[in-house]
Amino acid sequence: MSRSLVIGMAGSGGDGIVSAGESLIGACASEGYYAIMTKSFGSQIRGGESSCRVRLAVDPVLNSGGALDVAVVLSWDDFLKFGAELPVSGRAMVVYDTRTGVAADDLPLVGVTPAEVFPVPISDLAREAAGTDRAKNTVILGLLAGWLGIGQEATLRGVRKKFAKKGAELIEANERAFHAGVAYAEAHPTAESRKMDPATGSGAKLLTDGNDMCAAAAIFAGCKFYGGYPITPSTEVMQFLSREIWKYGGVLLQAEDEIAGIGAALGASFGGKKAMTATSGPGLSLKSEVLGLATIAELPLVVVDVQRGGPSTGMPTKSEQADLFQAVFSAHGDVVRPVLAPTTVGDTFTTTVEAFNIAEQYQTPVILLSDQEIAQRKEVLDPIDTSEIQLIDRTLPTDAELENYQRFQLTPSGVSPISHPGMEGGNYLGAGIEHDEHGAPTASGRVHAVMNEKRIKKLGPLHKRDDLFRIEGNENAPLALVSWGSSAGVCREAVQLAADRGLDVKLLVPYLLYPVNEDIYRRFFASVVGGLVVEQSHLGQLYRILRMYIDVPGGVVSFCRSGANPFRPKEIVAELRDLALGLQRTLGESRQPQE
Amino acid sequence: MTTATATLAPKAFKSELKPIWCPGCGDFGVVQALYRALSAIGRPAHEIAFISGIGCSSRIPGYTTAYGFNSVHGRALPIAQGLKMARPELLVLAAGGDGDGFSIGGGHLPHAVRRNQNITYIVMDNQIYGLTKGQLSPTSPKGLKTVTSVDGSLENPVNPLMYVLTYGAPFVAQGTPADLPGLVEIIEAAIRYPGFAFVNVQSPCVTFGEPEQQIKTQKATMESLEGMGHDPGNLIEALDLSRAYGTTLHTGLFYRSPEPPPTFDSLVHERQQRMMADALPRERILEQFIQR
Amino acid sequence: MSPTKGFDFAGLGLKDALDLAVLIEEEARDRYLEFADQMELHHTPEAEGFFGYMARNEEKHRVALASRRTELFGDAPGTANRTMLFDVEAPDYDEVRAFMTPRQALESALRAEEKAHAFFAAALLEVRDASVRVLFEELCAEELEHQALVQGQIEQLPPDSGLDPADFADDPVGQ
Repeated sequence: MSRSLVIGMAGSGGDGIVSAGESLIGACASEGYYAIMTKSFGSQIRGGESSCRVRLAVDPVLNSGGALDVAVVLSWDDFLKFGAELPVSGRAMVVYDTRTGVAADDLPLVGVTPAEVFPVPISDLAREAAGTDRAKNTVILGLLAGWLGIGQEATLRGVRKKFAKKGAELIEANERAFHAGVAYAEAHPTAESRKMDPATGSGAKLLTDGNDMCAAAAIFAGCKFYGGYPITPSTEVMQFLSREIWKYGGVLLQAEDEIAGIGAALGASFGGKKAMTATSGPGLSLKSEVLGLATIAELPLVVVDVQRGGPSTGMPTKSEQADLFQAVFSAHGDVVRPVLAPTTVGDTFTTTVEAFNIAEQYQTPVILLSDQEIAQRKEVLDPIDTSEIQLIDRTLPTDAELENYQRFQLTPSGVSPISHPGMEGGNYLGAGIEHDEHGAPTASGRVHAVMNEKRIKKLGPLHKRDDLFRIEGNENAPLALVSWGSSAGVCREAVQLAADRGLDVKLLVPYLLYPVNEDIYRRFFASVVGGLVVEQSHLGQLYRILRMYIDVPGGVVSFCRSGANPFRPKEIVAELRDLALGLQRTLGESRQPQE
Repeated sequence: MTTATATLAPKAFKSELKPIWCPGCGDFGVVQALYRALSAIGRPAHEIAFISGIGCSSRIPGYTTAYGFNSVHGRALPIAQGLKMARPELLVLAAGGDGDGFSIGGGHLPHAVRRNQNITYIVMDNQIYGLTKGQLSPTSPKGLKTVTSVDGSLENPVNPLMYVLTYGAPFVAQGTPADLPGLVEIIEAAIRYPGFAFVNVQSPCVTFGEPEQQIKTQKATMESLEGMGHDPGNLIEALDLSRAYGTTLHTGLFYRSPEPPPTFDSLVHERQQRMMADALPRERILEQFIQR
Repeated sequence: MSPTKGFDFAGLGLKDALDLAVLIEEEARDRYLEFADQMELHHTPEAEGFFGYMARNEEKHRVALASRRTELFGDAPGTANRTMLFDVEAPDYDEVRAFMTPRQALESALRAEEKAHAFFAAALLEVRDASVRVLFEELCAEELEHQALVQGQIEQLPPDSGLDPADFADDPVGQ
């Protein structure tokens, strides 16, 4: 029996393999399992190779998992194109369509012999049962349900729902295809039981992806305006809000370009409403000028960057964590611009709400660095208790303050009460040009210095926000991992795995990447001899930013690589072990008697 | 003579800030005309928001008592639109120069027009970049010699009037500080028009502009569209007249759609009212992700 | 363009005529104040001083006319407003320049007084009400006096060097 399984499937877009994955994860969720599903595509809009991974488990899952336990192959060419995204392990069962013409003892896999191989006449079963090859994906669902023991009823419910609008005939055809798959699985049992343990979780589960979660969080936070431009992999944020925001008295604008999208959002914020825009790296490049404007005009704004591979168009459908420099150093001038990053679909909710809270409280743009991996993967998770989540609104001027209102009044905290058009007595000139306390433009160097100080000082409390960090493991551990974004989920599992293997490792996950909370890193690193800063970029951008602010211990190094293939927990543990051994050797050498 | 109905004097809209414009600049007349138009409209300054980009003319919001936003180059319209969407009850004005509106921000103009929000956009068109000291602008005449076109410009100017008419703007007018009463009338009519209203103001640059563009010359040569008997409900005639941009200074109303189409904001309001009934309470938004 | 375009002088009564005259003075005063501000901001003190002086003169005239209006008509509401009055006695906005000489400032005022005179003279051709006629004739005469006054000041100035002070100034500053 299994507590956790990783299933990978690949075919061409026409095979509906991703659709099958969605049905599967839906069934898992309603059965009470936890799961993560990721999709991966070629660059074609339709008909290119496509694949999905579904990791399902009895316990909550933190990342999309490592090597496959089950591989489903409709086309070997397509499957192999995904390379490291769909690695087959030696314990895996491989299921493939006999139509591929590959012999079971001659699989095109290099250096690995799967535990079990099932050539299945998937296309033929589909044709016999449903009258069309196209029902292959439903046959696969039947096979998986049969072999893995995942709820047949739940899967069938999903299939029926999916085809509900298409009529009874199609539903029945798919039901037959599904049962054909189940029957085939039962007739060809696996050697060792691959059945899933029953789900233990009680109650309903949530099933969604990071982009929808981010959008829902925006609604929860009271966002009343979204301005944006379609860009992969962030567009689903806009799509969700296009359905929902009006219901809450909000407005959505699909703008003519990225700049207009953020510009309109800033206009709405000037109008006193919570506002957001979402984009990916290329869009953030364009939005820089308005980010600068939001900073100097001291207007709240949430800017979501769902990172993809860069530079430029780069890899639109692949995840990367290479926009941190751009986020931290976005736009010119002396600026501190808060940057937050969620690490899972689930914590995308709270992190997005936090972005709104920081934006509103400190009257600043906040960049939320999501990444394609968590933005577009589907996750099954427990319902989130939102009753304790605080929402912060910008501080409006009191009647007394409106008597002689100064929009940019120098206050001890650096935050000045903010009015908005329509508020009598609050009239002021917002500006991108430097201005005095009243908002009047100035060329005074003294005023400029004072205002820079004000705008940076007001963010000071963020340096103390320890609650925006997650620390796991033994606090005195000599080995450490630091990771952010989707890679943090991999590291959390790596910490467990490392402990199982006798490595004493702790983990620090910053949700607030910038400004750098120097104290928490210093305290964390105090016990550390060696460690890794794990991130999916070529340069290791967080590692480099940390070194700008703190003395990172010499044994802590950057473990980074360009995007596309997420880290796997095992490789992080392997790297940590190597690092530990290396440090041990150095220690040994230093102990040798001197000649 | 117009009848006094306003309770707010033009001075109520004049701020304490002293304009940094060069003495003799056309924009002084524009801001005066605006004070008077706003006085005639009669809405208090705090219900007015005035958004501009960058350029000499974009300083104008600061010289009014309205809420102002002197933003970044070319982005007045997106910001104004977002503001109007967020607070449709406001009187929203946008302004800037020809470079701001037709060059760096030119991509926003057709979209502002097609959204048809109830916004008045005033461009102070002086055919030159003044703030950066006299370079070519998108409306500079072909052949113009400037510091960046030392041997003369090789490009044709844009024709903002024709652009905006063909984009489908329901209200297009041109004015000049050489005819201030006329300018007041145009701006007032633009603000009162229930939709996107575009006012091109030939506001000369006294420091870098050409002598023939100055107010004295304009006074002598401008032609009133009304005086010519132009019917502002006639789009084809308006397009035909707009061809004279850059050669003849026509003042007044080129086009006013006789039947104003619904505004974006009214459609938004209708949609919000219709959809609000279906909303889960905000704090229960996550329930839609529950997998049953 | 006729200086009286847009005005209905034929139907004008004394109350509205006085209001109009008050507003014309007010307009001129404010324009001179604006000019004084512009000259102050652009470091042209002599012209600033002169425009301030003109503003005070216009204010004096306005006060005199306004008190006559109050004596005759009290607070009775009027119909005149400033929307149409930009150009009557106030100098045009493009009359001023940074670094303008006192002579140039005076000449701009002279042109404004001439313009005002032309306005009232043209209006007199249309006015029907006898009391309004008397008022406008008086104003017309005053404008001539003002012209003479300014002309006198111009004559007291040292001879014009023929040089434009702007030619000696620094280049404009890019922003």
